[in-house]
Amino acid sequence: MTSFRRILVWGLILCSLTAAAACRKKEVGPPSSSGRTLDIAVIPKGTTHEFWKAIHSGAARAGRELGVKILWKGPQREDDRAQQITVVEDFISRGVDGIVLAPLDDRALCAPVRDAVREGIPVVIIDSGLQGSDFISFVATDNTKGGVLAARRLVEILGGSGDIFLIRYQEGSASTTEREQGFLDTMMKDYPAIRILVKDQHAGTTTESAYQLAENLLGRFPDVDGIFCPNESSTFGTLRALQESGLAGKVKFVGFDSSPKLVQGLRDGHIHGLVLQNPTRMGYLGVVLAVKHLRGETVEARIDTGVTIATGETMDTPEIKALLEPEFFQDRD
Amino acid sequence: MSGHDKARIKILLNWLAPFLGLILVIALFSLMPEVRERFLRPANFKSVATQSVIVALGALGMTFIIISGGIDLSAASNIALSSVVVAYAVNVGAPPPAALAAGILCGGLVGFVNGGLITTLRLVPFIVTLGMMGIARGVAKWMAGNQKIDAPLTWINGLMAKSPRPSWLLLAPGVWLMIVFAVLMAFVLRRTVFGRHVFAIGSNEATARLCGIRTRRAKVLIYSLSGLFCGLAGVMEYSRLTVGDPTVAVGLELDIIAAVVIGGGSLAGGEGSILGTLIGVFIMSFLRNGCTMMGWPNYIQEIIIGAIIVAAVGLDQVRHRRAA
Repeated sequence: MTSFRRILVWGLILCSLTAAAACRKKEVGPPSSSGRTLDIAVIPKGTTHEFWKAIHSGAARAGRELGVKILWKGPQREDDRAQQITVVEDFISRGVDGIVLAPLDDRALCAPVRDAVREGIPVVIIDSGLQGSDFISFVATDNTKGGVLAARRLVEILGGSGDIFLIRYQEGSASTTEREQGFLDTMMKDYPAIRILVKDQHAGTTTESAYQLAENLLGRFPDVDGIFCPNESSTFGTLRALQESGLAGKVKFVGFDSSPKLVQGLRDGHIHGLVLQNPTRMGYLGVVLAVKHLRGETVEARIDTGVTIATGETMDTPEIKALLEPEFFQDRD
Repeated sequence: MSGHDKARIKILLNWLAPFLGLILVIALFSLMPEVRERFLRPANFKSVATQSVIVALGALGMTFIIISGGIDLSAASNIALSSVVVAYAVNVGAPPPAALAAGILCGGLVGFVNGGLITTLRLVPFIVTLGMMGIARGVAKWMAGNQKIDAPLTWINGLMAKSPRPSWLLLAPGVWLMIVFAVLMAFVLRRTVFGRHVFAIGSNEATARLCGIRTRRAKVLIYSLSGLFCGLAGVMEYSRLTVGDPTVAVGLELDIIAAVVIGGGSLAGGEGSILGTLIGVFIMSFLRNGCTMMGWPNYIQEIIIGAIIVAAVGLDQVRHRRAA
């Protein structure tokens, strides 16, 4: 019986240690200004991508400024709709005061959000849309505007005419489709001198698939003048293909989102423009709006967190630098 | 203490051991000051029960397979495929009962193919189901055209509603299905000839065959049955998501296998119980629920669940050595 008992004892020790650790953590939480501290749950689509880390840092800053506690928790496996539903349900069970959610699916998350509202928990939706109107506000990038901005920049550096590719991201992805549509509409309507050689090819979800597509397209149309890609992975894949084929810098290239590799491409003159979102602001505003609503103030139903374009000339200005290299949440809380 | 008393304590402890883990987990979160009152509320237990349904249904079938000395790595892909089949059927205008049946039968078919390949090609279950894991996932993505399928809402989506209609049901219909099937399967496993054959095959397949058990037929039956449960779990997944998502439940087969193992199932075969499996399912669900309520990051939860799997199996080994 001794080893059985030993295991039991170890188990108990482990549990009490965890408990102790958790209790201690609570004592160092932010001081409350008016009685009880508000608990705001912030639920991203995943936790490991840089975009979400920037959102986390924005949410944490809002938490510090407003004196509310931020509970940051994504689905255990990235991009798993079922697990995100579970996370929302568990936070409803905990009885948090507000929820800030980046829904993985515009439909699957409707039921849990309705449950939250029924329990009197206000929900702010960030990043991607949700069907219905159960939430108090929707804070996201205006993606169409991002596409328009990219089109204007590409035309500017092309000098008004030339042959271009639009490399699409993936079928069924709402945000990137809006960017592509904004780009395409602007080109067709405002710039008849631009000829679009390719507009219906999808790069797929990985850098590798984007690389292959761009390589094949460059093989077929080596005299192309300009390219636009609507997200980080397609931009990076195309950048690699341009560099490998020796066309980098010669072909004018506008991409979307930022990463250290893309910043380097911008510095080397291989990328001529990057459309940037503002995830830090998205996380920050999500929490601020939830708290405002809880304190009885009215909040706007739709907030655009803005898009900006970074170019080789502007990349070192403080505002653009902050967007190109957003602060990441470092505290292991 | 007399030897007789010792033996009785041992039997009691053996019976209690799986419960112990569950009690520990619930006690742990009941002691946390931040979530204490909330954690023990009936509403929270209701939502944990609903969250457990999919893994539990998959684990009922997996218990049979593991007791028979096999393994099914394709369970999660099968669940995803079945959920896509239901969404597809609803979308092309099939009446909900037909869509539901299509989902369950699709699961059963995948299980039947698994069992058939294992027995006719004499391949180890690990290889066959590893292959099927990819095949079923691929077919699901193909069927759904590499996206999710949006299907109109029907009563199928009410099966996993946390507040069920009619309200006298108290728990979601899916939870009741889980309970009914658990009781039924416990009965089949313990009290029927088929159930005893499952144990016999897992303990020693050659001996079982020499004793006149038609092991091949029994194995095909076991995998088909497990497939049907995956199909039902797929229906529940669709009910919960309201869309058919071919990428859902990636890696869930490991949760299902872990539940069986935590509940005392032996991967060497010949051991396991439905009650133990359900306890394994609930240990993991409560841990997940508690960790989220505490706002702990995912890595803590993953580490704890990993430690529990090793501890549970370690405990099992200790008991075995003692019994031997």
